[in-house]
Amino acid sequence: MPPGFRLFDRVIVVVQFLLPILGLLLFWELAVRTGLAQASILPAPSTILARAVELLGLTGERAVLFGHIGASLKRALLAFALAVAVGVPLGFLLGLSREAQLWVSPILSLMLPLPAVAWTPILLVVFGPGDLTIVIVCFLGAVFPVLYSTMQGVRACGTQPVWVVRSMGGSRLDVLRRVLIPASLPALITGFKLGMAHSWRTLVAAEMLAALSSGLGYMIFSARSYMDVSTMFVGVVCLAAIGMAIEHLLFGTLERATIHRWYVRDAGTGGRQ
Amino acid sequence: MSNVENILAHPVRETVVPAPRPKITAEGAGVRFGSVTAVEDFTTTIREREFVSIIGPSGCGKSTMLYAIAGFLKTTSGVLKVDGEPIVKPGPNRGIVFQEFVLFPWRTVLRNITLGPEIAGLPRAEAEERARKWIRLTGLGGFEDAYPATLSGGMKQRVAIARALTCEPDILLLDEPFGALDVQTKNYVMKDLQDLWIAASKTILMVTHSVQEATLMADRVLILGARPSRIVADVKIDLPHPRDPADPRLGQYRQEVTAILSAEVDRSMKIERSR
Repeated sequence: MPPGFRLFDRVIVVVQFLLPILGLLLFWELAVRTGLAQASILPAPSTILARAVELLGLTGERAVLFGHIGASLKRALLAFALAVAVGVPLGFLLGLSREAQLWVSPILSLMLPLPAVAWTPILLVVFGPGDLTIVIVCFLGAVFPVLYSTMQGVRACGTQPVWVVRSMGGSRLDVLRRVLIPASLPALITGFKLGMAHSWRTLVAAEMLAALSSGLGYMIFSARSYMDVSTMFVGVVCLAAIGMAIEHLLFGTLERATIHRWYVRDAGTGGRQ
Repeated sequence: MSNVENILAHPVRETVVPAPRPKITAEGAGVRFGSVTAVEDFTTTIREREFVSIIGPSGCGKSTMLYAIAGFLKTTSGVLKVDGEPIVKPGPNRGIVFQEFVLFPWRTVLRNITLGPEIAGLPRAEAEERARKWIRLTGLGGFEDAYPATLSGGMKQRVAIARALTCEPDILLLDEPFGALDVQTKNYVMKDLQDLWIAASKTILMVTHSVQEATLMADRVLILGARPSRIVADVKIDLPHPRDPADPRLGQYRQEVTAILSAEVDRSMKIERSR
């Protein structure tokens, strides 16, 4: 396929993706303008956009939005990185050792259904409000999906691929490096996606409860005191847009570079060949 | 395959060498999983460059024995030796090919095949050099950069065979290598494997449940009985290679093996029903 054609295809895909969103925005705008919705509760997209322009400092006001976005991103990404650093090695250990799994999995099944935000008040007592508390809460939200996906990925690998490498005289390290890690990569990426999404979701609640002066969650929550609905909506839109951008740009790129090249999706069965 | 025909034009051996050295020896070898005995009292000698097939009713533990020889499973009784040394773990002198190919989807065809030399610590260029020989002989030329997901079953099995042979093992262990292939593909890969065996002079041990495959390819067919299984017959197929599937003498061997096997299957069914 010529590269120009490919570019055209991608443009079509992007337009197709944006069209329903634009449709929704148009409907929303019209609903507010015709008085179908109350503007003081549901401001029109144009009002939100104007507020966003102000918050970005484009009209001469203080550019606070970047500061909030930066603070939120820093916390969520740090928590996610910690979740990967803890969840992946632990997932490998639990996936490989029956013994470890027997001891740890009851504790995990107890922790898993617990919403991470529930820890916030306790952490507030221990560490007080601030970045530390928020990062710990986000970490607790992100670590379990990463851990579970890793564990499942390692277990799904099966014995025969390991045997193939062992029959070539491969060491334990060879097995880990050449079989277990690449074989569990699709599951790892799923875990990363879920982990980051959980980190990002937990962040807002944690920031509402524990942030001192920055973060999107803080921005939304503090706007409540002035009944500043437009600012709240700017925050909500930022959360959605950034969450989507992380999912598509970061993990989408990772997937295209790895598993999409390795596995051809069988259109008939939907499974991997 | 024309590329294999070149080698066939210069065969390494015309006739079977009278008494080659024993390669694999099993004396009363058995494998038990907890209270279940998979195989017991497995006694046989497989000589160098011999093609031996193990056949038996399903669930008779024939793959178990193959895995024990590969070093993946431990024997719980008796002795199992390769080159006079007891088998303690897997090693590059024994290559394995599985029914389900077990290729690494994240590696291209070439990288799948160079895996053995890579693990052995060979430089990339040398590893590729070795791989190219088997890529050529298995008819995989032109597919080096393809990912396994894009290949057909027959091609995948060729990659698995080439991957095992690139490690230059003395022994090739085949675990129902044609089980996942359709009949047409199977006939092709079977023919190629025979030619490769003649060209490469390896000892081959193949597990199968197909009488046709076993009699067509093997020098000897070991028939395993129902659980707990042991060798019930050791049939020597005294015909030169490569064999013609339409050879009437082959038909007689097929009948002989089928008769013994059917009796075993009947017996195992009776045991199962009486439980």
